[in-house]
Amino acid sequence: MREATSPDGGPRRRPAPRTVALTAAAVLLAVVAAPVGIGRALGAHQPLTALAVGAVAVLWLIAVGLAAAGTERARRLTEDLAAQHDETMTALVVAGAARQAETAARDGASSARAERDAARAEQARAEADVTAAHAELARLRAELDAERAETEAVRAAAEAERAELDRLADGVLPEVVKKLRGGAAVDSALAAHRTHPQHALLRAVAEEVGRGERLRAAALAVCATAAGRVQALATSMHAELREMQHRHDEEVLGDLLRLDHSTAQAGRMADSIAVLTGARSGRRWAKPIAVESVLRGALGRIGAYQRVRLHNASTAAVAGFAAEGVMHALAELLDNATNFSAPPAEVHVYVEEVPAGLAITVEDSGLGLSESWLRRAERAVSAEPLDLTTLSAGTRLGLAVVGALARKHGLQISFRPSARGGTGVVMLIPQQLVTHPAPALATVPEPVAEVARPALTSARPAPVPLPLAPAAPVVPAQAAPAVPAPLPPAPARLTESGLPQRRRGQTLTTAAPPTAAPAAKPVRTDASTAAARFGAFRRAAQQTATSAETPPTTDTDTTPDASPVTEKDS
Amino acid sequence: MSSGPVLPGRDDDPDRLYTITRGRSRSPENAFDLVTLIVAEREPAPGMQSEHVRILRMCEAPTAVVEVAAELALPVSVVKILLGDLLETGAITARHPRFAPNKARLPDLDTLKQVLHGLQRL
Repeated sequence: MREATSPDGGPRRRPAPRTVALTAAAVLLAVVAAPVGIGRALGAHQPLTALAVGAVAVLWLIAVGLAAAGTERARRLTEDLAAQHDETMTALVVAGAARQAETAARDGASSARAERDAARAEQARAEADVTAAHAELARLRAELDAERAETEAVRAAAEAERAELDRLADGVLPEVVKKLRGGAAVDSALAAHRTHPQHALLRAVAEEVGRGERLRAAALAVCATAAGRVQALATSMHAELREMQHRHDEEVLGDLLRLDHSTAQAGRMADSIAVLTGARSGRRWAKPIAVESVLRGALGRIGAYQRVRLHNASTAAVAGFAAEGVMHALAELLDNATNFSAPPAEVHVYVEEVPAGLAITVEDSGLGLSESWLRRAERAVSAEPLDLTTLSAGTRLGLAVVGALARKHGLQISFRPSARGGTGVVMLIPQQLVTHPAPALATVPEPVAEVARPALTSARPAPVPLPLAPAAPVVPAQAAPAVPAPLPPAPARLTESGLPQRRRGQTLTTAAPPTAAPAAKPVRTDASTAAARFGAFRRAAQQTATSAETPPTTDTDTTPDASPVTEKDS
Repeated sequence: MSSGPVLPGRDDDPDRLYTITRGRSRSPENAFDLVTLIVAEREPAPGMQSEHVRILRMCEAPTAVVEVAAELALPVSVVKILLGDLLETGAITARHPRFAPNKARLPDLDTLKQVLHGLQRL
């Protein structure tokens, strides 16, 4: 630009070429003209001229130099000026551009301001939106809270309900059922729970249970009643059969014995049902029953009694109130033993007096018990109360009966494999049920017989009767009854007025003997005993006599008048 | 069993007759009649059936079958079975009274009847 604006000015450091050329030409001219002038002056031998020429040349050179220097300076100043002008111009252009830019910037700023306003408006709107959204959110949250609270309430209600149901199942229902089982009516069982929230449910359940309970009780009662009637029938049939067995001779005796046996088995079944239904057992014995009789009483109630061998040397007796139960339990055990061993095999019964009481062992040589059977048997006779639901369709009644009787009388029953290959059952009769002197055996007639001796010996010189008096020293066990602890049976059977008294479980025929009992009771003299003996003799005689049909003697020998006569005889 | 004057046929004992005879209803041999005298030859052994024991005690002196039956309060046929058992084991012997010579010395039936009537009238 500077080159452009100052076309004749050369580069700044160098003088302009025109100036240089002019200067050079002036110098050259001076250099050439000066020597020539000097030389000519000197040639002319004019030194002053030569000097003047020399001086003019020097001055020229100086003038030329100054002119050149001035020119150069002017050129430079011009150049500077031009340069400044250029700068100013460019500055002006720049300023314009800046102004333009400023304007543009101002425009931009305004638009930015507008934009900002717009943005602010936008923001305000957005803020409004946010506020609305906040409000919405708050509302939703509140709703949610409400919802949650509601859920909580529902859950709490459900919890309460569940707790209530749990309480119902754990406490209330069992209690109500227990009351019902105990025989309470539905209303009285529910009396304490009338306000119970689940009252309707409770009532429904209670009524159902109550109905079941009544049904059960009714069924049991029916069974017990039926069993009781069969028991009574069996007892009276026994009494009649016994009486017939004494009346008829051996032609009929076999049949009577068979009938007796069947009756005894039927009686046992009735007894079993009575035990299972919780009714009374068959008979009560007024006196202690000797072990042998207990064993035989049990034996008589089973089918295969002929396969049972008794080994008994004990003279102990079982208390009358428990004897029937012991017999019945023993009969069931014997029945099991005979049923589980094949027919020719025998079942052995051993009796042992132990400190704890009386141990009766029943051993068969049958199949033996399996482990599970053994456990079941043990459980059946254990101390757990009888649960009728465990009875399976009528089979295996025996052990349940044994268990019930064992619990009732405190009998201990244990099962073990027998050394003989079968099963051994040990029944331990506790000591408190066992009496040792067996007082019921032949106590009363003893003194009577002593006195009676002369009356009889007169008729018959051989000392026939007196069964126990001479035997007493021989075996002390049998002598024990001689201890005067007697007479329990006699007062038990007769009232003060001498009338026969019927015991429970006894039939009237057995309780009211024909005629001899009143005759024998009041005076136990030698005469009465003699009369009784005589009567017995004649009755025995009559038995064969009637069968042989020897008319004359038996006609007069009617039993009824015999005893009064002999009584009067005294 | 023998308490007081025993009434035969009285059902106050749990023993049934077939358990006493172990099912037999007639004696295998006809060794006894009502007046056969029984004499015990041995002491009763422990473990014996109680009826056997009592028979042996009773028959230490000779006793008639019918008296044994009366004492035991058992039917004669049952007693005969029991006696048959004892006879088999040799625990008793049975003596039959000889009727022929005795019969001559016995008072006749009419006299006895009169005596009986006389007794009854007392």
